[in-house]
Amino acid sequence: MAKAKTKRSKAAKPAKRAAARPARKAAAKKPAKRVRAKKPAARAAKKPAQSAAKKPAARAARKALPRTNFLRDRDVCIVAYGETRVERRSGKNAYEITAEVAEQLFARTGLVPKDIDGIAFTVPQSEAPNPFWSNYASDYLGITPRWCQKTDIGGASAIGNVARAAMAIKAGLCETVMLLHADATSTQNLSRFGCYRNEFWEPVGIQGPPGAFGFLMTRYAAQYNLDYRGLGALAVAQRNGANVNPNAYEPFRKEKISIDTYINSRMVSYPLRLLDSVMPADGGNGLIVTSTANARRRGWTKRAYPIAYREITNFLGAEACPDITETGFSVVGPEALKQAGMKPKDVKMFHPYDDFLIAVMLKLEQFGFCKRGQGSQFLRDTDLSPTGRLPINTGGGQISCGQPGLAGGGLNLTEAVRQMFGEAEGRQVPKPDNAVVTGIGVIPYGRNWGTSNAMVLVR
Amino acid sequence: MSNGERPRRPRPMPSPTQTTKFFWDAAKQGKLALQYDPVAKVYQFWPRSISVKTGKRNLEWRTVSGHGKVYSYTITYVPTAGFEDKVPYAIGLIELDEGVRIIGNMINVKPDEVKVGMPVKVAFERMSDDISYFCFEPA
Repeated sequence: MAKAKTKRSKAAKPAKRAAARPARKAAAKKPAKRVRAKKPAARAAKKPAQSAAKKPAARAARKALPRTNFLRDRDVCIVAYGETRVERRSGKNAYEITAEVAEQLFARTGLVPKDIDGIAFTVPQSEAPNPFWSNYASDYLGITPRWCQKTDIGGASAIGNVARAAMAIKAGLCETVMLLHADATSTQNLSRFGCYRNEFWEPVGIQGPPGAFGFLMTRYAAQYNLDYRGLGALAVAQRNGANVNPNAYEPFRKEKISIDTYINSRMVSYPLRLLDSVMPADGGNGLIVTSTANARRRGWTKRAYPIAYREITNFLGAEACPDITETGFSVVGPEALKQAGMKPKDVKMFHPYDDFLIAVMLKLEQFGFCKRGQGSQFLRDTDLSPTGRLPINTGGGQISCGQPGLAGGGLNLTEAVRQMFGEAEGRQVPKPDNAVVTGIGVIPYGRNWGTSNAMVLVR
Repeated sequence: MSNGERPRRPRPMPSPTQTTKFFWDAAKQGKLALQYDPVAKVYQFWPRSISVKTGKRNLEWRTVSGHGKVYSYTITYVPTAGFEDKVPYAIGLIELDEGVRIIGNMINVKPDEVKVGMPVKVAFERMSDDISYFCFEPA
């Protein structure tokens, strides 16, 4: 699988744009046939006339992708990104931040509001009581969507929105989708949770997410070796990215850190330190997701194709006493890589959702970049810089840029797309042919986190 | 998320629901009550009106020993509302002998003496005439 993948990106790419057009269209029109064909042989016999002669390597690679993968045909792509600076207590509201992102997306694509026929949002904590966010925000922007979506899986919502937009486009509900993720959490956070929170969480005195991740770190350290200098190495690698990222929260952008800075940072919820954690902030980001056919028509040549997506919520949710160091990524990580026909060693860069450093480390283990229990050692031994063996969160991630509230998952995603477009000035990964992006959403009671999702993007 | 501001705020007071009333009534008498699923034959926590194993609304309340051990813990340095005078304080993720986990304050132990695996038992702190809140101490 991995071999086929390599072949595909190297051998087939130059020919792709010129030659593949008719073949793609034909393929896109016959999804039913592709799915129903029971034997590869039957399918091969039917198709050769279309494109095999022109694109053998690409076809071989695509064949390697599971047929149940709705993203395998690359008929949906990301063609533009937008992102605001991350600010602390900006005094802005989420509408204003949304508009800032939308303006960038319009400017970069030449689109105007009437061209957008699909729209997808994350939930702004700063506007949490509004049950009609999609309507109000569409009205604010003058957009008349034929499909709209507000995704409430927290930091997993951004890549969740890419997948949901792709489904809507493939279902024919819309063609040009604007994803808008904005929040002004540090200006005002109006979230109220209900459920067990009022009775069994808030009166205990636990520090919300830092408390939950404190439990996770303590437990991990009891089961495995946890080398805090490994987490420190990750903190430093990400901060180096923020130092050259104009959108990072300014005080972080200006401050360099070392592993000792991490080790000596103050305890918030032992063993979790300040520099393990994100800082809630204000900001936003967004993407244009469209059909590949439309991208060609419009002449948008920079494209990132989602080719795999897996999501799981409430992992082991009916188990009373699960191992909390096992997360949903033990399921969706390997699944997403398999869908993409990749192995961990094929990953060119990793843009994991980073609310806390330990979450990134657990993902490295559960995707299979290293073995269980060896995450902190892996972080110490691996060059995580843009030119290194595994570039991670090259723009600083949320931990060093600030977390723009529930738009936060889009920060890691935007950086991945920026890299793939070759626009990550000062931190460009030399061969950004693919990226793995993840999301984490919501803190549950006494486990790790609510939603885990993973997306693989290729150029 | 709490933001660690220093001014004193009252500790949040639970508002019992129809489902949780039994739990808080038991707590007032110094007893820990858990929901028991008579079909799956397992306990369940936190309280809710449906079994997460069978999907039936047939859970029974049982008072239990309140004994267990520390599955994990954290020591809070940035207090939440009502805990300003207590920092640093330890919070345990406790695995009860009945096979459920419950989060509670650790009392009668120095925060740095809390260990994973440590045996504990339930205790109660009076918050009001109606609410006594569970916490845990070394057994």
